[in-house]
Amino acid sequence: MLDIQGRKVAVIEAGAGDPLVYLHGFADVHGVAADLQPFHQRLAQAARVIAPAHPGCAGTDELAGGCSIEDVLFHYLEVLDALRLPRFDLVGHCVGGWIAAELAVRHPERVARLALIGACGLFVPGAPIGDVFMHAQPERGVDYTTLRSLLFANATAPVALRFFPDGRGDIEEEMRRYQMLRFGSFVGFKPPYFYNRALIERLHRARMPACVIWGEHDGMVPRAHGDAYVAGLNGTDGLRIVNGAGHAAPLEQPEATAGIVREFLAKHLGRAPANR
Amino acid sequence: MTFPVKLYCWHFMAYPHLPADFDERYDTGWVTVPNRLWDAQKSRGLYQQYIDQLAYGDELGFDGMVLNEHHQNIYGLMPSPNLIAAALSQKTKRGKIVILGNLLPLHLSPLRIAEEYAMLDNMSDGRLIAGFAPGSGPETFNYDVPSASSREQFWEAVELIQRAWTQDGPFCFEGRHYPLRYVNPWPRPTQQPHPPIWIPGSRSRETLAEIARRGYCYFFSSRSHGKETAKSQQQFAKVLDEHGKSYQPFRMGILLSAYVAETDAQAQAEAKDGVWYFLKNCLKGHLRREGRQLTFGPGIPYIPPEEFRSYLQFSDPTTPLLGDAENWDDLQQSASIIVGSPETVANRIMEILAHAQVGHLLIQFHLGNMADALTRKSMRLFASEVAPRLRAESTQLFTRAFPDMERQLAAEMAT
Repeated sequence: MLDIQGRKVAVIEAGAGDPLVYLHGFADVHGVAADLQPFHQRLAQAARVIAPAHPGCAGTDELAGGCSIEDVLFHYLEVLDALRLPRFDLVGHCVGGWIAAELAVRHPERVARLALIGACGLFVPGAPIGDVFMHAQPERGVDYTTLRSLLFANATAPVALRFFPDGRGDIEEEMRRYQMLRFGSFVGFKPPYFYNRALIERLHRARMPACVIWGEHDGMVPRAHGDAYVAGLNGTDGLRIVNGAGHAAPLEQPEATAGIVREFLAKHLGRAPANR
Repeated sequence: MTFPVKLYCWHFMAYPHLPADFDERYDTGWVTVPNRLWDAQKSRGLYQQYIDQLAYGDELGFDGMVLNEHHQNIYGLMPSPNLIAAALSQKTKRGKIVILGNLLPLHLSPLRIAEEYAMLDNMSDGRLIAGFAPGSGPETFNYDVPSASSREQFWEAVELIQRAWTQDGPFCFEGRHYPLRYVNPWPRPTQQPHPPIWIPGSRSRETLAEIARRGYCYFFSSRSHGKETAKSQQQFAKVLDEHGKSYQPFRMGILLSAYVAETDAQAQAEAKDGVWYFLKNCLKGHLRREGRQLTFGPGIPYIPPEEFRSYLQFSDPTTPLLGDAENWDDLQQSASIIVGSPETVANRIMEILAHAQVGHLLIQFHLGNMADALTRKSMRLFASEVAPRLRAESTQLFTRAFPDMERQLAAEMAT
C-alpha cells in the first residue's frame, strides 16, 4: 500500500528490470482478480511490473467527492511521484488504456514506450463504446451472459465464467467488481462515455514508440478505436490483433497478448526507460 | 384535536394500450421498450382521463393527489409531473398536490425546480407538497446521471432549493455542482417558510439521517409491506432519536395499491385485467426478475460500497419480486396490491398500520390498463366505506401509541 496525502493506493509489483506501469481494465487484475494473472506474470518475466489499483478499486481509497478523468490523471501523477518513477514503460488495458493515453500526451517525456490494449478514450463517430453498466445488470437477477459476451469472445469460456459467474458469487469478488464499476461510473457513465473528444487531436504529442493491440472480437470497444489510435499515434507498426480474443484479451489469450507486448519492448530496446 | 391517517390518491399514469402479447415479445417495460408501441390515436384523451380521475379523488374527500416523475417507460407517463400538477391546481380546490418527486440530478439547475414548485404553490394557493428524489436505475440510463456521484449532487440541490425559498435574495450559492452567482427566485412560495418537503428512500441509512437532520417527511419507497415496512419505520424512529427528535406518524408515508368492490370475489374479477397488466408489463424491468431489472444492482453503483456489501449479504438474487407473483395468493403475501370488499381492504390496511404506524397512506387506484369506470367505482367505495373506518381506527391507534403527538406536531410546526 502506498500512502498519497493520506489516501491509500494498492499496488502490486512483480519481476525485475525496467519499470513497467500497468493500468488495469474491467476484466483484469484489480477489476475482477485479486492477483496478477498469467498475462501480467509473462510481462514480469521481462520487466519490473508495477500495477496500481484505480481509485476505489481493490483497497485503493476513492477520491473525495468522486472523480473525473482529470482528477484520476492528477492522482496518477502523485502515484508515479510517490513510486519515484521519473520515466517508465506504460501499458494500459480498457479504461486503463485511456488513462495511459492521457498521461502519454500530457507527459511524453516520462513515458518511454506505450502499449494500449483494447483502450477506450477516443470518440469515434458511429462506433460507440459498449454499455458495460447496462450489461452488468443480470437478466432474471442471475444471468450475466450478455456481460460476458460484451467482454469475452466466448461467453462460456472457463475464464469468462470464472470471473463473471452467474448467480450470486463470492462476496469479496462481487465487491471487487462493484468497486470497478463504481470507478467506471465516475469517469465514464455520462457522456463522454469513456472518451475524451479532445484526446484524438492530442495523440501526436505521444512521440514515444507505441503499440496498439486489439482482441479480434472486441465487443466493447470497436476495432475502429484501435485504428484511430494507430492513425493518431506516431510510432506504431499498425494495429496488432490478438486472434480468438475479445475485449478481455489479457485474460483470454495471455500468452499471445503478452507476447506482442514483449516483442514490442524488445524491438525498441534502445528506447527503454533507463536509456534516455 | 385528533389526527387520523391521511389518505391520498396516487396516479402513475401507465400506458394502457400495449399489445396482448407484450410480455412474450418484449424483455422490458423500461428505458429500451420500443416507443413505436405508442398508439397516438388510442391515446387521445388519456391524460385528460387520468387527470379527471385525480380530480374525482379530490371531490371524494381524499386528502391529496400524488404524482411522480418517470422517463421512457410504460409504467408512468409523467416525465414532467409539474405539468399535471399545474392542471390539477386549476381543477381542484381542496386536496394537497404531492409531487414525489422531481428528480433533481436530471435537471440542469435546481433553481428551475425551486421556481416551478414556487409557482405551483402559488397556483394551488399553498397546497403543494414538494418531493425531491435523486432518481434510481432507469433514470441513470435515461439521462446519463453518473450514479456514483448522484447522491452528493442530489443533497446539494436540495440545499440550494430550500435556501432559495427561505433566504432573502439575491445571494451567491457556492456549491460544487451548482454554483450560482445570483439566487433570487420570483415568486416565493405561498406556504411559509416553505412547502413541506418529502423525500423517498429505502435502503440507505445516509438518506434517513439527512431526512431526520433536515426535518423532512420520509416516504418509504417500497411497494411491498411485510416486515420490512415496520423495520424501516423503527429504523427511521431510531435515526430521529439519534438526531434529538422523535418519531410521530406524520413523519412517514408509504405507497399501497387497492381495488375495492362489493365483495372479495367481485373485486378480484373486476381488478384482474388491470392488476396483471400492471404486474407483468409495467413492472417488467423494475420489480420483476424476468427480463433485465434496471432499478438496482452493480451496474448502477450509486450506493456506498459498505451498503452494497450488506445488500449482498442479506439478499438473495432469486427471491421473487412483486411482479413475479403468479396468483392471488402470491399477491396477498406481498401486502402491496390489496384487492377485496371494503371490509377486507380496511382490515388489511389496518394490519399494516398496526405494525408500522405511518401517517400518510399514498394509494394507487388505477393499475395498468384498468377501465375508467372501474377505477372510479373503486375510489368511490374506498372513500365511502373504507376511509371512514381507517380514519376512526387510526385515530385510536395513533392516540394510544403517540399520546404526545399534539405537542410534537406543534413543536415541529414552530421550527
